[in-house]
Amino acid sequence: MPVTVEVPTEKWAGKVIEVKLGATKEEGGSRAGTVTVGGETTLPFLTFEGGIPNQPVVAAEVWDVEPADWSPVLLEAWGNAVKDPVVWAQQAAALGAKLIALKLRSTDPDGQNASPAEAAATVKRVLAAVDLPLLVYGPGQAEKDNDVLVAVAEASAGERLALGLCEQSNYRTIVAACLGNGHVAIGRAPIDVNMQKQLNILMSDMGLPLDRILMDPTTGGLGYGIEYTYSVMERLRFGALQGDRMTQLPLINTVGEEAWRQKEAKAAEGVPEAWGDLAKRGLSWEMLTATSMLEAGSDIVVLRHPNSIGIINGVIAKLMGR
Amino acid sequence: MTERFTVSFLPSNRRVLAERGDNLLRLAMGADVHINASCGGSGTCGKCRVVIEEGAVEERPHKHLGAAERQQGYVLACHSTVVSDVTVRVPLESQIGDRRVLDREAAAPAVGTTLAAHDWEARLPHWNLDPPAQKVFISPEPPSLADAAPDADRLRRELARVTGESSVELSFRALKELPSVARAQDWQVTCGVLAPSDRLEIVTVEPGDTSQQQYALAVDLGTTTVSVALLDLRTGETVSQSSDYNSQVSYGEDVISRIIFASKAEGLAKLQKAAVATIDGLIQDLLSKTGVSASMISHVSLAGNTTMTHLFLGIEPRYIRLDPYTPASTHFPWVEARELGLGLPEGVKLHCAPGVASYVGGDITAGVLASGLFNAEHLTLFIDVGTNAEMVIGNADWMLACACSAGPAFEGGGVQYGMRATSGAIEQVRINPDTLEPMILTIGNRRPLGICGSGLIDLLSELFLNGAVDKRGKFNQGLPTARVRQGERGGEYVLVWAEHTAIKRDIVFTEVDIDNLLRAKGAIYAAAELLVQSVDLNLADVEEILIAGSFGRYLRADKAVALGLLPDVPYERIKFVGNSSLLGAKLMALSRDMLQRADEIVGKLTYVELSVHPSYMDHYVSALFLPHTNLDAFPTVRERLQALGPRTPRPAGSQ
Repeated sequence: MPVTVEVPTEKWAGKVIEVKLGATKEEGGSRAGTVTVGGETTLPFLTFEGGIPNQPVVAAEVWDVEPADWSPVLLEAWGNAVKDPVVWAQQAAALGAKLIALKLRSTDPDGQNASPAEAAATVKRVLAAVDLPLLVYGPGQAEKDNDVLVAVAEASAGERLALGLCEQSNYRTIVAACLGNGHVAIGRAPIDVNMQKQLNILMSDMGLPLDRILMDPTTGGLGYGIEYTYSVMERLRFGALQGDRMTQLPLINTVGEEAWRQKEAKAAEGVPEAWGDLAKRGLSWEMLTATSMLEAGSDIVVLRHPNSIGIINGVIAKLMGR
Repeated sequence: MTERFTVSFLPSNRRVLAERGDNLLRLAMGADVHINASCGGSGTCGKCRVVIEEGAVEERPHKHLGAAERQQGYVLACHSTVVSDVTVRVPLESQIGDRRVLDREAAAPAVGTTLAAHDWEARLPHWNLDPPAQKVFISPEPPSLADAAPDADRLRRELARVTGESSVELSFRALKELPSVARAQDWQVTCGVLAPSDRLEIVTVEPGDTSQQQYALAVDLGTTTVSVALLDLRTGETVSQSSDYNSQVSYGEDVISRIIFASKAEGLAKLQKAAVATIDGLIQDLLSKTGVSASMISHVSLAGNTTMTHLFLGIEPRYIRLDPYTPASTHFPWVEARELGLGLPEGVKLHCAPGVASYVGGDITAGVLASGLFNAEHLTLFIDVGTNAEMVIGNADWMLACACSAGPAFEGGGVQYGMRATSGAIEQVRINPDTLEPMILTIGNRRPLGICGSGLIDLLSELFLNGAVDKRGKFNQGLPTARVRQGERGGEYVLVWAEHTAIKRDIVFTEVDIDNLLRAKGAIYAAAELLVQSVDLNLADVEEILIAGSFGRYLRADKAVALGLLPDVPYERIKFVGNSSLLGAKLMALSRDMLQRADEIVGKLTYVELSVHPSYMDHYVSALFLPHTNLDAFPTVRERLQALGPRTPRPAGSQ
């Protein structure tokens, strides 16, 4: 006699808000298609319990200047592409990235100090060259971030870019620029559930709808605090599924930046032989950080190594059971 | 019988009852009627012009109004007192007739209750005026050949007869003086006796009857503020009281830094002397103010936290700070006040209220005693808001206590223009929602010197509820007022322009000040939340919340809730008890019953250590927001914010 066993499943009341990135011509932008993240009604990859309408996606990190401080392993892998953001973005798209995360490092006041207008023009060039949605980051210095991102937001109005980073000490200008020009804002809090919620409240208090905010919980690299990030993401996602509105936003992790910062990813000399080949080691560090973040609920992982893109795409597909 | 009049304010049509002589501006403040007033009611700014439409007021002279204006019925509210029923119109220039203002005024003001004397009686079990130390006049039979019992026996026998105590001891000092003192005025002797429990000790003897006037001192030795009260032991009334900053503050702002200082060479002695100097200064001030002589003082009752008590007594405090946080003692013997360095006569004994643990000291025992929490039937939360905030949850059957470090912000410390609640302190603030112009009142209607705790709570909540300050406590720049501006310490609000102050500088309220207030209120709310949750209850289950502290007189529940200092419960559950540590010290000075109760409280209080609680930081960070990260826990504040709507967003790129 056949016995039917009902697998016990958890049903959640809450749902992660869907955030759409990029805008097609009909929507006022120029993208071939859009990418929607979020919408989960279950914990990561537990498709038997609830819905995951949009699978996590890979964003490729592209800079507008050759990144002098990157590991030679990365520079070698990308070759000449790093000399031109247009070529770089095109190659990343060809490798399977679903989003381009363009960092406008040329505007760094301690570096080239390129003008906001130049940066805005670079964004337009990349938009013209690839048809993926863009995430755009300023140089990481509050005042310049504001100037640069306002110029970018205005020049590319309607493209539904994701602009970052908003932090509790500096979010108003970027949020206002997103509000006025139809973009999405990325908010980063320092690995703290409450501070992430507070930032979401502050950003939405300015009138920015929740479906135009991404949460960056700050990523700890593998071996360098990844467990803190994991636990904060887990708590945020539990909160979201339990119906706490201010935690129901999709999560984005700057995986590449954190993984390649670590000694294990870049040290070739003076390390134990057992650590093995540097090129493989760095790549592994990034992949393991990425998969951990995906397991913790990440909706967007930003990666650096060209090979990571395809590998992580494959990991996502397998975890989704496809 | 006091005459009662009705004062009606137009256009809001709000009416209040008043007594003859009530100040018109204070009445308006109490009724939530906004009248611009920039100088604290001192009559220097001339802004609080109102029109008397019916009835009359008595107006003190000033030179702000011309004959034509007087003809039209204009008066200055701060200089006018009520002498009849009166209808007052607040003209547009003094209030701006916006609908939002009217809406707000249409709702009854939510005051919260400040407990009055008769409320205390209902809260405390019956107690007798029966001081643990007092002067007793006796005239034993002089010795004769028929009864040649020793002097000491005669004295003991007579005192036992008069007081009804069976066990009477005589101190060595009294014994040495007795033979001559007894005979100086033919066996008319006043005994200074100490009888904290059922054992009575004659501490001093004096010739003649000096018992007609006797007083005691009650002291609240706070980390930041020290208060002393002079009590008449015949009536139990407070004759006078006075307070000052603890001069130990110059050696460190909180108990931890004081303990560290105490471990340095001569550190403990310096701190001991500083505390004594502050208390002694207040005592001498009270004595000269009232004309009471030091010889009329029978004893001193002091309540302070554990560290303060150690430092005051000169007892090594260092182990309070070190794991596992043990004080030298939580109970202290009666000591000679003079030995500690106080300028009081020999034989004046001093008692320190017993505490529970290193971070729940005698001030809390005193507070639990004074608030009647130990006698309450319903679930009560008692919070003493000080530099170290302590709180107790429970009722007559059980009590649980915890402590947290809040900092001195609510006592005016760490706030640029903060001050204690004394003359010239801005104690009440309302802000016009449209113009962001303030209405302020100072203690004593003096020109403003600074802002005290109640004023700070009013000010921050008004700025927040009117959209001038965002949820993280930062000013929204670009508002249509010159009062919000960029200062040296970030955004700031000019509460009083220099010309209207007593200090000739703009009195400003800065983002740094706000940060300190947020940290203080966050620590207190987080601790209260954890304490209540530790017994599987929620803040909403608490039937009464008693708030103690030296904020000033006009603390209002709705303002404290808007900041998230107190939970969003119906306002009638929130009651303010003022300085409960001082009140408890007074009770212990006046009654042996109360001294006994204090010991019982200590035996019943269970202490919860929050510093090791795994989720304290989480609760704290969550509370570092206005009113709280979890806005669902503050439904009335959410409603008020929704009614306000967003303030005009600033143009992009101008941050």
